Amino acid sequence: MRTHTAAGRWVHYALLAFCTLIFLMPLYLAIVNALNSWYSPPVLLPVKQEWINFYYATTLIDFWKYTGNSVILAAITVGLSTFSSGMAGYAFARLKAPGSQGLFMIVLATMMIPGIVTQIPTYILFYQMKLIDTFWPWVFWGIGGSAFYIFMYRQFFLSIPVELEEAARIDGCSFFRIYWDIILPISKPVVATVAILTFQGSWNDVTGPFMFLTEKKYPLATAMSMIGYLASGSTQVITQVSLAAGILLAIPIIVTFFIGQRNIVEGIVTTGLKA
Amino acid sequence: MVMKVMKEKTRKAVTFYSLVGPWFLVFLALSLLPLCFGFYLSFTNYYGFNMDNLRLVGLHNYQLVFTDTEAMYAMYRTFVYAIVSVPLTTAISLLLALLLNGAIRGLGFFRTSFYLPSIMPAITTIFIFKQLLYSSNGGFLNMVLGWFGLPEVNWLGYDFCTASLILMSAWGAGGGLLIFMAGLKGIPAALYEAASIDGAGSAQRFFRITVPLITPVIFFNLVMGLISAFQVYMQPILLNGTQLLSHPLKPNYLYAVHAFQQIFGSQRFAYGMALLWVLFVIILLFSCAVFFTSKYWVYSESD
Repeated sequence: MRTHTAAGRWVHYALLAFCTLIFLMPLYLAIVNALNSWYSPPVLLPVKQEWINFYYATTLIDFWKYTGNSVILAAITVGLSTFSSGMAGYAFARLKAPGSQGLFMIVLATMMIPGIVTQIPTYILFYQMKLIDTFWPWVFWGIGGSAFYIFMYRQFFLSIPVELEEAARIDGCSFFRIYWDIILPISKPVVATVAILTFQGSWNDVTGPFMFLTEKKYPLATAMSMIGYLASGSTQVITQVSLAAGILLAIPIIVTFFIGQRNIVEGIVTTGLKA
Repeated sequence: MVMKVMKEKTRKAVTFYSLVGPWFLVFLALSLLPLCFGFYLSFTNYYGFNMDNLRLVGLHNYQLVFTDTEAMYAMYRTFVYAIVSVPLTTAISLLLALLLNGAIRGLGFFRTSFYLPSIMPAITTIFIFKQLLYSSNGGFLNMVLGWFGLPEVNWLGYDFCTASLILMSAWGAGGGLLIFMAGLKGIPAALYEAASIDGAGSAQRFFRITVPLITPVIFFNLVMGLISAFQVYMQPILLNGTQLLSHPLKPNYLYAVHAFQQIFGSQRFAYGMALLWVLFVIILLFSCAVFFTSKYWVYSESD
């Protein structure tokens, strides 16, 4: 939208401000109301500063246990998936082998398979193998990486000039060495992007852990979907405390976004993908 | 010399397969195998405890899918949800990207404000919308309606719960923003200048240059949006319910909700797999339809 006149410019910024207001309003309301006293109806302007609600958010349910589970799941997933997606992405970007194009078509096709159609039979298989209620499924998924990020890595590696590796190849370096010593160090933006997006996906996953784990091992997001914030002897959810918990749940997502913002924006823009 | 070339080729192939191997093995074991296994189960009477004496029941489960009034109604509601929410979110993404195209002061701030809601944990979003915006006890949306002298609405009731679900999904519209911004940046400024010189107004420039050149991104957004909209089940369940096995109100009883709850609530695994395979085929058909009609409306460099 190209606006040249002063009036046009003014309208343009007014529109932007209005949209920003709409998009940020729910977050603002969450903070204001998380600080209000228990059971009061929603308010628009701040009335109280009951920071203790955040304390209750961590004590009315087994908050830290669930957070620990979230951290374990995220560590497994991010650690394994970031690495193995990168390996596969590098192979697809640089190595021609019989069948490599067919395999790449499979990578693209798997992005179109609805997750739920494979996830539930996987649950049945793991159930038969007695792997339910363990973290093993996440180890396997991690080793497999993700089609989206394999594609993202590939696009990034394709943009690196080949000459860099050719010199090393003439010196007799193996492809693994080249990947590890030359490619990875200059690929920090894409590694960071994949790591952060993988982390966010894992941290926000509610239904996967619901299927494959039981309450003791639930991560925070799943626990919060199954267990309400109630005062003892009551069945009414304490809105203020559950909002505080929702904010706490979102903090790692917001923090990682700001840490990786520049890389994420570039990564999504250069690959044209959003998982 | 020939020997050396051969060796180099083999070495490359071996390296290729060892790098791609982990992904491929897990793809075989945890995508392809479950896909086929689920397909097989949909023809049996599996209900969770009879893996050792499965009986083949032919097309029985598929017959159930198409005669089960709940499943058919759920499918209809899913179409309603997808057909409204996907174009709406795509349009909002595009609109926001257009607003941010060009020399904008505070670009980073605006972009972050629009993008941030799309990465919020689903649970946080549901808590905020359900307890603050849609609350019938002084909720924010009713407050706004009140400012304009409009009557209050029961956002979580029978008549409005689907609209509420769609509105909640629209809050995450910023997710497609970055791709649209990249697409808009890719349009050569020379095109606009040439059009201006020829006397094209801003509306003409938008519909004759911007829209055609951005159609590949619109296409991508629509396909991905449809695939995920057909699978939505957590949001409608938790919008009214308190846990994942609560039943949504009837208008929000979407197809994937039905499949999920038949499986995990009633242990009807075989029937559930038939439901999911029907969903899979519908998604494939839809994607193919969008794909094959794309040559009529998606711009490509080669034309």
